[in-house]
Amino acid sequence: MARHAETAQKLRIDEQAATRYIGIAILALIIWRVITVGLAEGYPTSFWISQALNGMVLGGVYALVALGYTLVYGILFMINFAHGEVMMLGGIAGFFALQFAQGQGWMEGPWLVVVVALLFIMLIGMVTSVLIGMTLERLAYRPLRQAPRLVPLISAIGASLFLQYSVLLIFGVSPHSYRKPALISGGLRLGNVFIPYTGAIIFITSVLLMLALYFIIQRTKLGRAMRAVAEDRSTAALMGVDVDAVIVVTFMLGSALAGAAGVMLGFHNTVVKFNSGFMPGLKAFTAAVLGGIGNIPGAMFGALVLGLIEAIGPSALGIPTEYKDVIAFTLLVLILIFRPSGLFGEVLSEKKA
Amino acid sequence: MLTLETIHTFYDHIHALKGVSLTVNEGEIVTLIGSNGAGKTTTLNTISGVLSARAGAIYLHSQGNEIFAGETPASPGSRRPGDVRGESVRIEQRNDARRMGGCAVRLDQLPAHAIAKLGVSQSPEGRKIFSRLSVRENLEMGAFARTDTAGIRRDFARVLELFPRLSERLSQPGGTLSGGEQQMLAIGRSLMSRPRILLLDEPSMGLAPILAQQIFQIIREINAQGTTILLVEQNAQAALQVAHRGYVLETGRIVLSGDSQSLLADPQVAEAYLGI
Ligand SMILES: Nc1ncnc2c1ncn2[C@@H]1O[C@H](COP(=O)(O)OP(=O)(O)OP(=O)(O)O)[C@@H](O)[C@H]1O
Ligand SMILES: [Mg+2]
Repeated sequence: MARHAETAQKLRIDEQAATRYIGIAILALIIWRVITVGLAEGYPTSFWISQALNGMVLGGVYALVALGYTLVYGILFMINFAHGEVMMLGGIAGFFALQFAQGQGWMEGPWLVVVVALLFIMLIGMVTSVLIGMTLERLAYRPLRQAPRLVPLISAIGASLFLQYSVLLIFGVSPHSYRKPALISGGLRLGNVFIPYTGAIIFITSVLLMLALYFIIQRTKLGRAMRAVAEDRSTAALMGVDVDAVIVVTFMLGSALAGAAGVMLGFHNTVVKFNSGFMPGLKAFTAAVLGGIGNIPGAMFGALVLGLIEAIGPSALGIPTEYKDVIAFTLLVLILIFRPSGLFGEVLSEKKA
Repeated sequence: MLTLETIHTFYDHIHALKGVSLTVNEGEIVTLIGSNGAGKTTTLNTISGVLSARAGAIYLHSQGNEIFAGETPASPGSRRPGDVRGESVRIEQRNDARRMGGCAVRLDQLPAHAIAKLGVSQSPEGRKIFSRLSVRENLEMGAFARTDTAGIRRDFARVLELFPRLSERLSQPGGTLSGGEQQMLAIGRSLMSRPRILLLDEPSMGLAPILAQQIFQIIREINAQGTTILLVEQNAQAALQVAHRGYVLETGRIVLSGDSQSLLADPQVAEAYLGI
């Protein structure tokens, strides 16, 4: 018997070692490819810097969405697969707010008016996403709180499809295009590096929103309650915390960030349509997994890394930019194989059953 | 202050409490003793709303109106829905309560957080410290339902006075404390809610004898400062020594009750629980 267990143990260790060697081999292959193909192209440094800045902008947006995944996972241990659609609906609402603002002539007004109008558009997007997120929690997830973990996941996928095709039905297939106001259309030139204003604004706004979230989570009574509920729901209830209310607030916070991301992505990609949330949603999910799902700084970091990889990767690996999605999802598969708990995985809670 | 009337609690099909009735009067320390699996933790969890009773009733009484902070209790003899932060609460005028000139809230239909807000605080079995929150944050969680900043600050100081060891470890994650320190934190956290009644589940579990002794001393102190206590213990001897009265629970039923002296003298208790 003992021998048997020993052999099994040894096999398992061998398997782990094998996985590690394969991981190292893949990493070596990637590095070799970068050196022989990417660097051999001889792009100027300014090109790499531009790409990196681009990646940071994408990373900032992904981070906002990734935080929604990670917050909900941290408390409910479920992946809200409809989160991308929550973001998309924020983008759609932002589009209509933009249209309204344009109709009022605000977008051609003095800069202060434009700034206030932009804030208004963002707010509309955030409020819409919050309402959608709350509704989802109430209708699609709360009734399944006691069900096995796979059930709310299926419900989430159903909700995701429902939202996508509802938007398709109501607003049609054709994309709604975001027209940037003149004020933020240009950019900044630093030497050979061009920084578009929208990119800079998106990145700064993302960072500010993340700081706000971090402050709420770490410094406020509400955040403390959220962390307590994430750790031990019934003990938190013993302290007088209304667990359901905290769960709703968690969805609201995550959705608000997603709504902001949806509007900013609208300005960044200049269009939004029914399936605009799908890809960024999956990317943000990848980012959350990369950082260790449930881990808030991990999600921010993972998103930044993913944004950078996606922006630099195609040139560095010498593959067409259209394949940048392949890079992100290959990364997801690799993380799931080699480090399923993500980069900061050890924080993952022990009791998520 | 607290009355349980023929409480039945189930875990699915397991009938864990089979008609438990007990009373804790204002200012008392009452202990609930019994062997492993008797249903002590189940009783406390039913009171605090972590579990819900399938039959029976639990009442929290008040002599004055101060229990139901922020709301006016029902006028004598009437029934009207009260409100504890959005939870509708039925305040009942009960005979015994009316005799005392107060009123009662029925706890057994309320969610756990509403019960906590009424001043029932449980220090759960196994401490249940929030391991990733700092010691300070754990204590602050205890005061979650309160808004009187000055009072919270006073109680914070008082807890640190009772457990000076905690004050050296305020910014440390709760999970890094030793077992004994975690027990102190768990009790301190309960005290931070300034409870009207404190439910302690095995506060001496896993502690060195000296530390356990210290904990019992502190329980006495807390009680002397005006907190009513329901104490669950494996260590029946020590529990009966600090308590005024006791109940003996056996497989979900109260089989014996009385004041501590008579229970300590009871040969049945001595044989089963005091190891004499
Ligand atoms: N989650 C649960 N599911 C099913 N049965 C349970 C559960 N918790 C407790 N029980 C059962 O209910 C009965 C009472 O358990 P309880 O935890 O209340 O005992 P206790 O008196 O606190 O014991 P101890 O002194 O060991 O803590 C036991 O028979 C136990 O097996
Ligand atoms: Mg117990």
